[in-house]
Amino acid sequence: MARARRKGAKQQHQPEPQVVAPQPVVVPTDPYAEYADREWDFAWLPEEEPEVVDERALHALVKSWRHGRATRSILDVLQDAYIAIFSVAMIGAMVINVIVGSQTQSASCDTAACLNGRLLVPWGTFFAIAALAVSTARLFGPVLASAAEGFWLMEAPIGRKRILRGRLWAVVLGALVVAGLVSAGIAGIAGEPLWVVGAWAAASGLVASGLVAWSAWEQSFERVKALRVAQAVLAALAAVVLGTMVAVAAGWLHIEPPAWVRVVPWALAGLGLLMTVFFTVGAHRRLDRFARTRLTSGGSLVSGLQGAMFGLDLGLARDILVDREAIERGHVKPVPGRGLGAQALVWRDVQRLKRFPRPLIGLAGAVLAPYASDAIGLALLTPFLSAVALMFALVPTLGALRVLSRSSGLARALPFTTAQLRTATFAVPAVLALVWSLATIPAFLGVTGGLQRSPLAAVTVALACGVAGLAAAIRWQTAKPVNFAVPMMATGAGAVPPTLVFNLLRGFDVAALVSAPVLLNADPIWSLAIGVVVLVILRTGFNLEEMSEQAKEQQKLLDAEKAARAR
Amino acid sequence: MLEDMASRAPVLTATSISKSFGPARIVHDFSLSVRAGEAVALTGRNGAGKSTILRMLVGAVRPDEGRVEFEGTRMSETNATIRKGMASVIDDLDFFPDLSVVEHLDLLARAHGVPDPESIVDEVLEEVQLVPQSGQLPGTLSSGQRRRLALGTAFVRPRRLLVLDEPEQRLDVEGVAWLAARLAEERKRGLAIVFASHEPYLVGQVATRIVQVGPPTPDADAAAEPGAGVEA
Repeated sequence: MARARRKGAKQQHQPEPQVVAPQPVVVPTDPYAEYADREWDFAWLPEEEPEVVDERALHALVKSWRHGRATRSILDVLQDAYIAIFSVAMIGAMVINVIVGSQTQSASCDTAACLNGRLLVPWGTFFAIAALAVSTARLFGPVLASAAEGFWLMEAPIGRKRILRGRLWAVVLGALVVAGLVSAGIAGIAGEPLWVVGAWAAASGLVASGLVAWSAWEQSFERVKALRVAQAVLAALAAVVLGTMVAVAAGWLHIEPPAWVRVVPWALAGLGLLMTVFFTVGAHRRLDRFARTRLTSGGSLVSGLQGAMFGLDLGLARDILVDREAIERGHVKPVPGRGLGAQALVWRDVQRLKRFPRPLIGLAGAVLAPYASDAIGLALLTPFLSAVALMFALVPTLGALRVLSRSSGLARALPFTTAQLRTATFAVPAVLALVWSLATIPAFLGVTGGLQRSPLAAVTVALACGVAGLAAAIRWQTAKPVNFAVPMMATGAGAVPPTLVFNLLRGFDVAALVSAPVLLNADPIWSLAIGVVVLVILRTGFNLEEMSEQAKEQQKLLDAEKAARAR
Repeated sequence: MLEDMASRAPVLTATSISKSFGPARIVHDFSLSVRAGEAVALTGRNGAGKSTILRMLVGAVRPDEGRVEFEGTRMSETNATIRKGMASVIDDLDFFPDLSVVEHLDLLARAHGVPDPESIVDEVLEEVQLVPQSGQLPGTLSSGQRRRLALGTAFVRPRRLLVLDEPEQRLDVEGVAWLAARLAEERKRGLAIVFASHEPYLVGQVATRIVQVGPPTPDADAAAEPGAGVEA
């Protein structure tokens, strides 16, 4: 009954807007004048010592609250988890299939140059994983606490060690497992024998966990300089190894690995183990001294990213990281703009690149992608992998497009149509994609052992991959978040918006679509043509919802016209 | 002056616009016409529908029924001509995370083809009191400073219509006084203004017409004194 009343009240017509005469003006004077004669009382804190709290009891209390609010038992969750288990099993089977397939294909890598080049894959993976471990650990803490814990628990007279020690161990062991699995997967795809896969998995896992433990140790002192240097050195080593791998596979450089190289991954694993033990114990001893701001800063970042990932919205997740980086930077030296009209937007992008040139390093890495892919014997997949690598390199250069697409306020302030805005904001990335295409033509000619193509075909494939990477990056940055207002799809895991899963594939879908003709051995001109069409559609801001609303409006007008004629 | 204003063509016209969200009808059959040199204040309780009306007026939300026109052209948020003439500061304004305060204003002025962008940017920056923060990135600004920057983006570019949603929000007392003086001056120069506000001082200084949205507030009758303090 009450619900019906509420519904009725909502649907009730609002009164007509009334035109009211202007109100008298009261010019503000001192807003605090009326309190001038007030006598202020002070409240003093009690002199008693605060009661000592047992952290374990507090933890048990929080646990009891959480359990008390649970609406489902663990059995219910497990019963509903069968879909997730099946999904993991299916995806796992697909990954293993890809690895086996790649190993079969890698058997075609039978020249000395190709085999030597492939030996460097685990090295490159090792350095890349190590750099990523330091960067991720530094970004999140790695030890963190939620904002609520920061407010309610960190202020309380309790030792932080008991609250935080589980987290320290969790991040260190998590790094060990994740890095080990990734390293094993990549070494497996490269067709390495089992003992090599195992040795490098151990090395990557233990060194990554050691680096995370070191980051935790540094966190306790609130230091980041050494970690930044380590991250830069490890990333540079990964790039050097990748470049060397390409040079070796192309036959420009010859290396004869000595026998002791086989021992290196085990030595690295030993070093990683020592680091893990030393720094984990050190950080554990200092857990009581971890600063609350550093702990909760990582926690708030995680909760933001968690929110974004509930909608599988990688764009939003990236926005959160970009905003955080900007806040950390805080201040820049202002640079006056150039040009008028849409040119001003293009020049701003040029100035952005000059100010933050890091995306150019990514682009240089993406240039190596087709050479490296051919070098390790994945020539058939090279166009797709290259387009994806270019997509990742171009995403950071499309920041302006992202801001103008995610909300309409700023776009409305600029005097351009959507197509003009998008063209202006992807002009600079388009030039970068063209440079990338020119730099990768030799790869598509087959200089690093890939498919041999005629010069014209190589140029067309390079341009097609450039367009594919650019279009994929634009799609990645402009895709709308999941719309939870549309009718949901019933699944075993509950109601799911139809676009939820496709959100994860954005960008990759365009890269696959454009590179499909090349992958299927059709004339590469088809790839180029599809890429240009996709680019044109993305430029105009193809918006299904807007089109549907326009269609509805047209229909409404048509119906009104028909009704008028009938009268 | 009132006769003169009435003879001018309307800059913005809303005819019988309505909007519902699910079963909740937020705005029903609302009409409004604003001419150059006129400032219309929308007042009313929280949830009365003021922001929804403003969102429909700028094209951010499409009305279920009715029509909004800007200088005779049907309102479309993506129409470049409308974007050139209409400045708005409602709750959906975003900023580039990697551009500083002054660079935002500079970009807006240049995009609109302002011939001497640097001087107008300096002037507005001074006026919104963000000179010390000119090199700061938007993420590090306080909520009040962000509001000032948002208002600055509207003042740094040419405009024939200004739409503002509670522009006094997060501004300090001096800020509200500055804003009232600035908007009153803009109106006198011929700008059409529509704004929603809960600040009687701002409404009194700027508005030539007040439109009460939804049921009147309890003290509205007591506060209203025809013609007081407002130059029509």
